[in-house]
Amino acid sequence: MVAVADSLVHDQLAKYRRDPAFVLQMLRHLQLEQNIITSGDIHVLSESLNLPRAKINGLIDFYSFLHRRPRGRYDVYFSDSITDHMLGSREQANLLCELLGVELGQPSANGAVTVSLTSCTGLCERGPGVLVNGTAIDRMDDARTREMASLIEANTPLEDWPLEWFVINDALRKKGPLLRYEPTRGKALERAIAIGPEGVLKDLETSGLRGCGGAGFPTWRKWQICRSSNRRQRYVVCNADEGEPGTFKDRALLHGYADTLLEGMTACAITVGASKGFIYLRHEYEFLRERLQHRIQRHRDTNLLGRNILGHHGINFDVEIFMGAGSYVCGEESALIESLEGKRGIPRVRPPFPVTHGYKGKPTVVNNVETFCYAAGILEHGPDFLAHAGDQPGWKLLSICGDCKSPGIYEIPLGTPIRDVLEACGAHGTQAVQVGGPGGTLVSSAEFDRHISYADLNTAGSFIIFDESRDMLDVAVNFTHFFAHESCGFCTPCRVGTKLMVQMADKVADGHGARLDIEQMQRLNKLMTQASHCGLGQRAAVPILTTYEKFTDSFERRMEDVEYKPAFDVEAAIERSRQIVSEEALSR
Amino acid sequence: MTGRIRIDGQSIPFADGQTVMQAASGAGVFIPHLCYHPDYAANGSCKLCTCKIDGKQVSSCTTRAVDGQVIESNTEELNSERRALSQMLFVEGSHHCPSCEHSGNCVLQSMAYKLGMTALMFPDFTAGRETDASHPDLLINRDRCIYCHLCVRASRDSDGKDIFSITGRSENKSLAINTDSGLLKDSGITVDDAAANVCPVGCIIKKRDGFSKPIGQRIYDNRPVHYNKIKQPSLPDLDREPGRKLRVATCSLAGCFGCHMSFLDIDERIVELTEHVEFDRSPINDIKTCSTQCDIGLIEGGVCNTENIETLREFRDNCRILIAVGACAISGGVPALRNNVDVRELLEESYVNAVGIDNPQIPTDAELPHILEEVSPIHEVVKVDFFLPGCPPPADAFWQILTDIVEGRQPDLPYDLMQFD
Repeated sequence: MVAVADSLVHDQLAKYRRDPAFVLQMLRHLQLEQNIITSGDIHVLSESLNLPRAKINGLIDFYSFLHRRPRGRYDVYFSDSITDHMLGSREQANLLCELLGVELGQPSANGAVTVSLTSCTGLCERGPGVLVNGTAIDRMDDARTREMASLIEANTPLEDWPLEWFVINDALRKKGPLLRYEPTRGKALERAIAIGPEGVLKDLETSGLRGCGGAGFPTWRKWQICRSSNRRQRYVVCNADEGEPGTFKDRALLHGYADTLLEGMTACAITVGASKGFIYLRHEYEFLRERLQHRIQRHRDTNLLGRNILGHHGINFDVEIFMGAGSYVCGEESALIESLEGKRGIPRVRPPFPVTHGYKGKPTVVNNVETFCYAAGILEHGPDFLAHAGDQPGWKLLSICGDCKSPGIYEIPLGTPIRDVLEACGAHGTQAVQVGGPGGTLVSSAEFDRHISYADLNTAGSFIIFDESRDMLDVAVNFTHFFAHESCGFCTPCRVGTKLMVQMADKVADGHGARLDIEQMQRLNKLMTQASHCGLGQRAAVPILTTYEKFTDSFERRMEDVEYKPAFDVEAAIERSRQIVSEEALSR
Repeated sequence: MTGRIRIDGQSIPFADGQTVMQAASGAGVFIPHLCYHPDYAANGSCKLCTCKIDGKQVSSCTTRAVDGQVIESNTEELNSERRALSQMLFVEGSHHCPSCEHSGNCVLQSMAYKLGMTALMFPDFTAGRETDASHPDLLINRDRCIYCHLCVRASRDSDGKDIFSITGRSENKSLAINTDSGLLKDSGITVDDAAANVCPVGCIIKKRDGFSKPIGQRIYDNRPVHYNKIKQPSLPDLDREPGRKLRVATCSLAGCFGCHMSFLDIDERIVELTEHVEFDRSPINDIKTCSTQCDIGLIEGGVCNTENIETLREFRDNCRILIAVGACAISGGVPALRNNVDVRELLEESYVNAVGIDNPQIPTDAELPHILEEVSPIHEVVKVDFFLPGCPPPADAFWQILTDIVEGRQPDLPYDLMQFD
């Protein structure tokens, strides 16, 4: 057993050329194979990579899916995202625990299984989602959960589980230029090479393409800044760490449009002068990895990647997949680069931005999956690719989930009002939509004329619908917990603030809220918004307070109209003392 | 680029590459901070140095000075945010000044004084992290770590030893030692290392050195010149006709009566005080219940059992203004040190294992109050209107706030009467 484990860690060291930047990849592999990263593994890695042991521990403890304590041989994570909640994820998790006789988050006594919760798995339109030993299964219901319990009890290897459980389909409901786009392989690249870097930048500028990851920075400008830096080495990174709860459109692109993505990345590399690229793929999308790897290989085999691309001397570019290990904040581009360098995913101080000081300090373009795909379309079809009848050019892929008849992916022109989106997906009796995920904007029914655009409701793609049956306070409490769990803990306002917000939100939800709690939350929100190091802390308190503003009823139902109400629970506080005293009295 | 920036209206020069913080300290302008240290690269994590630079709030330790920048620092808005950040750090760890060896030499404490922090306002997290006492000369009390990364940077950059790391994330962060055992004794650190001397709080401390200097001679006992005065909360109106004496009630919950002793140290001024106030329920006159509607209630001690809760609620019901007096009432204080110990262990330590016990047994009499799982500050049980810090608060502080209230002013605590120990 020891020998096997030892060879595993040595295999990993060899595979990644003993490069400490890939320690996270090695750790992740060990975790998936052994359900634990042992003290022995850490020792070998520490010696071989010349990394202090505490740094490796620091990495393991930072990423949600890495563990220094044993997990079960079946390591099961139910998605705790709001849409999975609405589809009954907690009930299914509890049912599985009950059937297997385990406690949530605790490995079973025989080491067979651990059932726990995790942040969004990206299966929002087909939830509740679950990960078993890193592999995704969708649509958990009583029947599936019961069968899963039997399979685990019978110690059935994952390969022998029902095959259809692992088939994750994509519901492409409304197609625009990108989803309709059937690329002629190599054409976007041919054209990029033909028109040259300046031509590419010009086309992108004319097209109006902006980053689709949420910030909306003009893509041509980012590429141009990277290109014009005087450093020799540059990098292209695809941000496929789609962690915003409610988003799954990158999942569909990585699945069905991988060739387009690779051409977009390669075109970017040719334009900025990069020879190396990474796809930072979130841990939860392990099920996409193999297929993506095949696509990369096919691109190499057909000379769309590798040396002298398409026969053009000196045009070299290759792409490597880098797996995340469970951290929402790594979706922020500078944190993603830290993670890519094998470190804890803590956002850097900006400026300087990654486009001038990125991976290993070199100029790096980090773009979202969708952005690279659109770029490929523009290069093949020209700058009119994004044009439509509306007055602002550009399209957006929306991941629509929650309360509607047809959840899935909708490609809509920028400027589309919320009302039209709701109609398209068959939503009825809608009281609110969360646009852009927990960190985005809560839109109430009075505001359904607002539209999806960079100027109004900006979104990386998340579009969660809540009908009138939902208690909006519960939704906000879920988001508040999410941020506290995902805070990297670097800065004071976010690390402590998110936890305080959880305490106060829970206090109100439990019926102990008073006016002073609301005032305290408002003060704290102001502090977190203005002083936090990155967007997570800046947005973490917004959901609960926006909900208070727009859905005051949901708060007042659970609050008395008083200034102060303590959360202090006397009965709970003396429970232990009571128990001891009664034990003592009985024993005499 | 060199040039000048304007901070709180004062124009100061900066040199090429300097941050706003560096330029400000070079010019003798103080910006509150914890994780910044002139010898090391900026970290930017504590956020106390947040300033409004050209209208936008950013950390001044990581922001480059640019010619013509307009910076606001010493404003009510920013200082009250900084005060909230200090409060957050106090509740996140276990920062009980009266029982901390580093009190008086602690940068966090000194910042809190400067920012007019009299109370914690947030519930205590009761950290309960591991202590490392393995080293012969040094001790790590992780409960007090504020994640400033100063020891990490000092060990790496000054000592060339790279001994410390930060592990975990969110609330599960922890200070780790880069040794196989994870223990400080195996790290090669010595008392003379920069990393052993840079800790701004009482997390990395020297053994046999605690409390070696008497109060009055410690670093921050000499009141620094920088004091950002902050408005204290305003008190409820007493609605009092002229000439009526104020009724004052006092009590001690889980406290040592030290605050009451300090109160009596106003000495002969008590005669003058009794011309304006009369005492209601108080150990001073041995009256056991609050008789009528009182004006001021002074509460010493934290809340440790059910009797404390009843007393505290009686005070709240009967006093217009309730004042938390001293460290125990404000943060749980010394009694709260038991908060990480199981109740059974506590009871056995007191009633079974203690020295000189005749009939060792945990009392079960129904008349006795139950002890609470944790000692709480009083503001977690009732609303508190004003906080008078100190262990004990100085007699002059009692005098100051009582005379303020008697004379109809909002009470104000001058900086030299602010102390947490």
